[in-house]
Amino acid sequence: MEKTNENKEMTAQESLSLINEVLNKSRKSILRNNGKHFILWGVLLTVLSLGIYELWHITGNPIWNLLWFAMPIIGIPLVKLISRKDDAIPQNVISKQISKVWLAYCVFVTSIFVISIFTGLIELSLVIVLLLGFAECISGIMLKNWPIIISGFILGVGGAFAAALMPTAAEQLLLFTIGGVILVVTGLIIKIQYR
Amino acid sequence: MFPKLDPLLHSELRLAVMSILAEVESAEFSYLKKQTDSTAGNLSVQIDKLSAAGYITVEKGFKGKMPCTTCKITPEGIEAFKNYVTALKEYIS
Repeated sequence: MEKTNENKEMTAQESLSLINEVLNKSRKSILRNNGKHFILWGVLLTVLSLGIYELWHITGNPIWNLLWFAMPIIGIPLVKLISRKDDAIPQNVISKQISKVWLAYCVFVTSIFVISIFTGLIELSLVIVLLLGFAECISGIMLKNWPIIISGFILGVGGAFAAALMPTAAEQLLLFTIGGVILVVTGLIIKIQYR
Repeated sequence: MFPKLDPLLHSELRLAVMSILAEVESAEFSYLKKQTDSTAGNLSVQIDKLSAAGYITVEKGFKGKMPCTTCKITPEGIEAFKNYVTALKEYIS
């Protein structure tokens, strides 16, 4: 945008163009910032799922799954750290709704995880990967981005199907590695889309 | 007859500030400065004018040890912005 000038006389068309330009610039800046968060959580999910898979595989003990609780412990301070460098970028309706979708995802997954620990009745990986794909798909719909919508659908439906076919729960963890990579790619797509 | 354009909004910088604030819940001074590519002095004057008209509220506080000014559009500001855009569209059509 050109240097704004308080006293410049504007025509109606110029005023509308200015509103459009400013809104677009601000929207891009806000949504581009969202991309960082997808990348951060994606990297964390990839690293943790691979780590837990390896530890479970080597020791044969599923207790390593408790390491999933390290995700918010590491992730939330990191989110705060990167947010501090964002030059106070505010949230708009879309970014706020996307945050709420992922917050709901976290609440669902934590609840299912805890219920599963005590009852062992739920096919945990299947449900979590389905929810992950669903949250990804909803984010894509909000951002009006077809690659994100499709990758969310493939991750959710394909992942749930793969989870049902995989013989051991340890192997099912690799689905979350794929999920993490998809989150990273989603973050990169958002950063490019709103460059 | 064309409706009268709100003179307070018919200024490039004030309109830019109102456009940003119409989209977000609140925005810090530094964000508005960056998005509008304006100088701190000019932006501060225009924010005071919008605030005096009741279109925005300005809250001064601290972020850590740094002073932080946060602006928020008021319901009157939203109404004025809507009326301004409606009037602009009538001019064009």
